[in-house]
Amino acid sequence: MPPAVAGSETFPALIARIATGDRDAFSRFYDLAAPLAFGLIRRVLRDPEAAAEVLQEVFWQVWKEAPQYDPKRGSPEAWLVMRAKTRAIDRLRSMRRRDRTFVGPVDEAVTRAEDAPGENPAARAEDRGLVQTALAQLPEPQRRVIEMAFFDGLTQSEIATKLGEPLGTVKTRARLGLERLRGALGEGRMSAT
Amino acid sequence: MTRDEIGELAAAYALGALEGGELARFEALLRAQDADALAALRDAESTLVDLAAAAPTPPPPAVKAALMERIAAEPVAARPPAVLPLSRRRRPLWPVILSGAMAAGLAAVVVGWSVSATYEHRLDALARDADQLKAELRSQQTVLKILRDPATQVVSLAGLPPAPSARARMLWHATAGGVFVAAGLPAPPPGKAYQLWAIAGGNAPVSAGVFSVDASGTGSLSVAPLPGVSAVNAFAVTLEPAGGRPAPSGEMYLLGKS
Repeated sequence: MPPAVAGSETFPALIARIATGDRDAFSRFYDLAAPLAFGLIRRVLRDPEAAAEVLQEVFWQVWKEAPQYDPKRGSPEAWLVMRAKTRAIDRLRSMRRRDRTFVGPVDEAVTRAEDAPGENPAARAEDRGLVQTALAQLPEPQRRVIEMAFFDGLTQSEIATKLGEPLGTVKTRARLGLERLRGALGEGRMSAT
Repeated sequence: MTRDEIGELAAAYALGALEGGELARFEALLRAQDADALAALRDAESTLVDLAAAAPTPPPPAVKAALMERIAAEPVAARPPAVLPLSRRRRPLWPVILSGAMAAGLAAVVVGWSVSATYEHRLDALARDADQLKAELRSQQTVLKILRDPATQVVSLAGLPPAPSARARMLWHATAGGVFVAAGLPAPPPGKAYQLWAIAGGNAPVSAGVFSVDASGTGSLSVAPLPGVSAVNAFAVTLEPAGGRPAPSGEMYLLGKS
């Protein structure tokens, strides 16, 4: 959630200023929004160096593509988070591709980021800290589908294969999981205020 | 399409799990400004934003410093055009190789002429230039040997997602070494360089050197024979810290199997 800020400092207003090449607006937007994007990127990529590079690329895209931001398509937070997710997952897939190519030892820091998706759900979920509290309220099958897609970068047919479930089941779980998550996160916010 | 079906497409799309025909179908709905699809996607995305917002993480300060520096280095008037061209015109590679070889040949002629004109007065300079010439000649002979020998492999490398339009060619000879030329690569960010790797059998990748690219995205590297490496299965290029790494750690930009 963006902190309460007024007038020219709301996210849409900052994006509009960034679109005109306003560096102060960019700096302010970064300060307010980077922790949000970085939290997500770090959950996808364990390697801190790769995560920092992806964050830089995401905000470079923000600087370059602010003129194309369309408020009708969603909030600036969603615009940013979806970019961060896409770029982080691209990086994860490219690291997997590289590791499939190089059949030899690669840097330890990288292999650690490459834990097989979903193989140790307990340890990974614990690692994900606060996100876990909201995700923990989901039934296990829905939670796994959301984690495998959002944090491990698997497509729904890859998830179906991995779980040995029909594709239709995976689709339904993703939808129901997100709907339920929306309820859970909404309540959490209300009780926190 | 039922509301549940649209909900499923939107959920999978926001999660990044949609692919193939379904991805195309949902993107078509978005382009057509379908109200149900847009609303379902907004809901799914805002849920994921809340999920991300539940665990904000302060980024390392170096990231902002690097960004502000990158922005400050941009020419003020050069805001990018709103629409980038979809595909850059591909520059053929052979002219790059040939013009390099011709420039080297021309350089040899010029050096030779200057040597003959002044050798009486500057014997030490002559010796120096002769050494340079010999080195030049050796490198030309290497290139010629590589080009003439039927044992030379020509490996084409294709661009991977970080730079899909990039491509490169490697002329590789196990005992003579190789010549590598790449085009269409983005300029590496400050402190980074491209590193070429040779992959042989089940062994760890062997570094074949580090290179950068010019403003047009073209770079080249002359590779000495790699000790202990005879048959190469593949060549690959990754982005690494300047100076290179003993083992690949960054994203892969080019890959070609021999």
